[in-house]
Amino acid sequence: MTVRAKILLLILLMALGAGGFYLRSLAQHVFLEPTPRAEEAARAKLNQFALQPNNGTMQLATLYFPALNEGKILPESRSITWAQADADRVRQVVLALAEGSHQGYGRVLPASTTVRAVFLAPDGTAYVDLSNDILSDLEPGIQSETLTIYSIVNSVAINIPSVKRVQFLIQGQEVETLDGHADLTAAFVPDSTRVKSGP
Amino acid sequence: MRGAPHPRREGDEALPASLPRRFPRPRSFFPAILVLGLAALLWPARELRSDNFIFYFPSGQHRLPLESVGSAKYLPLLQILNMVGKVGGIQEKKNSLKVWFGTTQIELRSNESKVRVDRASYELPQPVHLSDGQWMVPVDFLTTILPHLTHQAVEYQEGTNRIFIGDVKPASFTVRLDPIANGVRLTVQFTDKVAVRTASSNGKWVMFLGDRPMEPMEPSYRFQNPYLSDLQYDDQDGVPKLILSPTSSGLNFYPVQAEGGKILLADVLKPPPPSAQTLPLQPAPQPAPTSGQPTPEGLTPQVTEESPAAPPGLPLPVVALDAGHGGADNGGHSHDGVLEKDLVAQYVGRVRSALLATDKYRVVLTRTGDLNVSSEQRALAANLSGAICFLSFHAGDLGMALPRITLFTYQPPTAAAPAAGDAPTPAFVPWGQVQEARLGQSLQLALALQQQFALINGVEVDLPATAPVRTLRYVNAPAVAIELGRLAPDEDATALANPAFQQQVAGAVVQALASFAKGGN
Repeated sequence: MTVRAKILLLILLMALGAGGFYLRSLAQHVFLEPTPRAEEAARAKLNQFALQPNNGTMQLATLYFPALNEGKILPESRSITWAQADADRVRQVVLALAEGSHQGYGRVLPASTTVRAVFLAPDGTAYVDLSNDILSDLEPGIQSETLTIYSIVNSVAINIPSVKRVQFLIQGQEVETLDGHADLTAAFVPDSTRVKSGP
Repeated sequence: MRGAPHPRREGDEALPASLPRRFPRPRSFFPAILVLGLAALLWPARELRSDNFIFYFPSGQHRLPLESVGSAKYLPLLQILNMVGKVGGIQEKKNSLKVWFGTTQIELRSNESKVRVDRASYELPQPVHLSDGQWMVPVDFLTTILPHLTHQAVEYQEGTNRIFIGDVKPASFTVRLDPIANGVRLTVQFTDKVAVRTASSNGKWVMFLGDRPMEPMEPSYRFQNPYLSDLQYDDQDGVPKLILSPTSSGLNFYPVQAEGGKILLADVLKPPPPSAQTLPLQPAPQPAPTSGQPTPEGLTPQVTEESPAAPPGLPLPVVALDAGHGGADNGGHSHDGVLEKDLVAQYVGRVRSALLATDKYRVVLTRTGDLNVSSEQRALAANLSGAICFLSFHAGDLGMALPRITLFTYQPPTAAAPAAGDAPTPAFVPWGQVQEARLGQSLQLALALQQQFALINGVEVDLPATAPVRTLRYVNAPAVAIELGRLAPDEDATALANPAFQQQVAGAVVQALASFAKGGN
């Protein structure tokens, strides 16, 4: 083999190697590292906007967290700078619940839960569309599901008076139950008897 | 040799003179014949029955002859193995057998209940035995050992002669009987669509249920009714069917299917009374039998004066027991891997046995086996059976107390803190609101349960609470969800899985139902 042929073969092998490396990185990019979809990015931006409104006033909000031992929900005060629109305020409340209790009460929603959408109907029904992350860390059982639901419903209704009832959707769909127990096919009205009264 | 003449006794006159004296006389045979006859009659039969055992697979079903030895049922081992897989070879000795099934080696000995599968050893409740050269294993082999050989799901309800292997989803049904004018209406509610074909045979009405695998909640239903005596499920010949027995001949049978095959309505009616002229003992011409009108063999229509039907006896009240979740829905789980669906099924089984032992109740189960049954189907099973109450068993996280029981009555999502009293029932109640009219009774039932559970040592029992439990929503009877705790991923389920505790819970349920039935709490 001549020197010229050897050089050509070397160049060819290098080109093949470079092409293979490019294809591998391309496949990894396409199949293994999906970029956040535009919809999810928009939601994340919306959540961020709802949590950090520029020109709102900071007020004390009441959030409810479950106490499984007592079968009740417990109030906790939290400073929130309210957004202008009620639908955004609903989102703020749910995200604040997902953040967890600052006083060590039970968890309502896993921190990974995102609010996919909130619609406020003229009759006072707030449609809250949650991601199915809510199911990932939910304590099992009738009591647990019931307290989770009323933590959200009571928290939303007490802070946003225009909300009379809450209808839950999971991943944009109406579902029969939260996790096999609590009926989610109808809108929930707040229930003050769920709140622990007294010390 | 001639001996001295025997002294003549009373009765000897009838003895023929030609009968040699050395044979015992016929009278002396009588006690022996009597003893032998009684012995033959009372001797415990080794093989009284010759039933079939049905194996349902996703691809179809197979039958194997079942050998009954006393109360134990046996099946031929090699036929089972050939049905579920391929037997690679056997090595048979006088009292032992080795079978190579795929890569697994099975070793068993005659009259021993221990079976070795590779290095593992399994104990069967009855010993293996040889019958006419066939190696017979007790039916429990199917649930104890077969799953390890086939690595497929096996669903078997104890006491039945059928098993479901692999991804087979059997349908089931509930039965209800309602009086109607001049007859009775039988309602059979199937959990899935079933194509029913009816025929009459031997004075009974037969309803063929197609080739859909079926797991009946009860093998037979006995009616205390002037028109129908019983309804039996039978698939012994491989054809699933219901056999309905009328109490007398001459009744008309009008079956019709509804809701696309999910409901079978069958009216059993007395024929119109004959005219007064035919009453005095004139045999009426027998109507030509039709497929829907059986003419029981050996019976002719009786022409008697029209008399009011005997009042039906009071049937035993039905208790509907609901084991939460099932199938793909495992419910919660504990740290040591106990699934909620399995745990609550254990409780339901114990409560069922305790209730049946009282001879005061019939029990309807909303699910049998590991099946995924919708909330509506569970409620429907209770509603169609006319259940006096509905108890739904769950297990979950109830906080740190262990064990702990909380009772829930239904709370509609749209109404906070429902009134405890029963609302006046309007003429038509929407299906989704049927429980709301029962909330007062449900609370009474929950209080009765709470009182009895509180008597169990070491258990913390909460006052009845309300919750939007979907399963209770459609139940047209006093309904309570019983949640047992604590079942959570960070806790072992040792306390809840304890058979003694489960039995105490079952006993408390029986006491609570007795108290509830008396109207006290």
